[in-house]
Amino acid sequence: MEVAAPSLLELQRALRASLLTHDDRGISAHVVDAGMTPAERLDVYRNTFASVLTTALRLSYPAAHRLVGAEFFEGAARVFIETSLPRSACLDDYGDEFPGFLAGFEPVSSLAYLADVARLEWAVCRALHAPDAEPLDAQRLVALAEAERARVSFAPHPSVNLLRVDHPADLIWRAVLEEDDSALSAIDPCARPVWLLIERLPTGVEVRRMTQSAWRFTSALCAGRPLAAALDEARDFDAPVLLADHLAAGRFIDFSLNKRALNFP
Amino acid sequence: MDSHAPPLRTRDSIPAKAGVGLRFRHHQEVLEARPAAAWFEVHTENYLGGGSAPACLDAIRRDYPVSLHGTGLSLGSAEGLDPAHLARVRELVERAQPGLVSEHLSFSVAAGNYLADLLPLPMTEEALASVCRNVTQVQDHLKRRMLVENPSTYLQFRHSTIPEWEFLAEVARHTGCGILCDVNNIYVSACNHGWRASAYLAALPPEAVGEIHLAGHSVRRIDETRTLRIDDHGSHVAAEVWALYAEALARFGPVPTLIEWDTDVPPLVVLLEEAGHAAALIEEAESGSRRALAA
Repeated sequence: MEVAAPSLLELQRALRASLLTHDDRGISAHVVDAGMTPAERLDVYRNTFASVLTTALRLSYPAAHRLVGAEFFEGAARVFIETSLPRSACLDDYGDEFPGFLAGFEPVSSLAYLADVARLEWAVCRALHAPDAEPLDAQRLVALAEAERARVSFAPHPSVNLLRVDHPADLIWRAVLEEDDSALSAIDPCARPVWLLIERLPTGVEVRRMTQSAWRFTSALCAGRPLAAALDEARDFDAPVLLADHLAAGRFIDFSLNKRALNFP
Repeated sequence: MDSHAPPLRTRDSIPAKAGVGLRFRHHQEVLEARPAAAWFEVHTENYLGGGSAPACLDAIRRDYPVSLHGTGLSLGSAEGLDPAHLARVRELVERAQPGLVSEHLSFSVAAGNYLADLLPLPMTEEALASVCRNVTQVQDHLKRRMLVENPSTYLQFRHSTIPEWEFLAEVARHTGCGILCDVNNIYVSACNHGWRASAYLAALPPEAVGEIHLAGHSVRRIDETRTLRIDDHGSHVAAEVWALYAEALARFGPVPTLIEWDTDVPPLVVLLEEAGHAAALIEEAESGSRRALAA
């Protein structure tokens, strides 16, 4: 039977559906079947599509991959891919929704820490591929009048990421990637909050634990809270010392001046 | 610095010699050992962020001509190009000042999603118009000529009306782009669809061919009687492809030629040996054309 030729847009959307859901109804009538069926031919593309995206997830989530094993990871990835496709051709950007997916994925519900390990891995990926940026020259702050300094709002370096998780994801992540079984078995994986700073240094991506108050102060600064307000709220530790550390480490790249010192603009 | 300043020709152009596709696992070795490679090609999409990957590329770029080979622009998309992706590609082009910029005759974006493969286009007038529109947009945006590569394909569409070789030649004629002639892909597609590989080569306009790709492919057994060739870049260049390459050089003259190897990537020395084989054939072609001139 003769079928009407599809438009290019229709054909491309039909091929997308075929890759994603194995639904060949919109496409198979348009594929030449000499020697091989349309489904056999489409399988070649389906295989590449699934394996490239699964590999991208494995590269971004190496610890989660090891925690659940290759076979299980692949199965989970295939389910995930059906619900979440890349929105960019840069596959380093793919997989931001994977930690949330794992959190709700029934077969791993007994591994309560898994989603937190994945959240940390995503933050590490973001830090790894974040754009380059020159750190803020602290002399520019020195040049400000005292009253102006109070109104400073910082712009964080794109690689700086602050993460709060409910399990010791950093310990698990490190032990898994270093294949340190004795360290791994010594970890109490039970729920307790951990506050982390993830950033890219010239030597690689660094994951540091912080106290809750230091993390809150740093988060406030990274969110653009005026300096005086952030300092005002940080009472139980030496915030100026931490601020100096942030500046020396290049965690800020710029600042602007708020209208007021104590509140969000 | 004016980012649109013309690049230094001597440092930036890709020589008509054999280069190697550079993968992450060889970065360090290239930086430390400075192997005698004529040039390197990298995958554009692996260098679009910040951090160590583009920094390595900067360092390698200081000593070698570099070509950028993309897989994500989706030149055949009916819905047009992703302007955000194109802008990121331009940033990298301005940073790396590559000798060549290339992409594929395929599509990989539909309904806003990247489908992670080089998907086949119907060879129709409508698709030709889409590809030409997108190639023109890329060339205008990058302010330079690009090369478009023939893909390996595993299916053809019933409503195709233009042979792939004519389609590619038409894209070059309409947009002024060059052709990246992937000899392995011609061989793979010719085997899969019953085309004549030599006739494909003969149909390409020699003056448009700016680069040649060579790679290994595998033969997948479907059942007792049927096989399909898969372009997996995971082995040595096949003997039949070397023979077709010699034919291509005889037609096109010496052209920058790249060895690609992407799965089970071997030690760099293996890639350099493959490049050495290509270099010998380029030399033969050069002396052949000199003899022809002298005759």
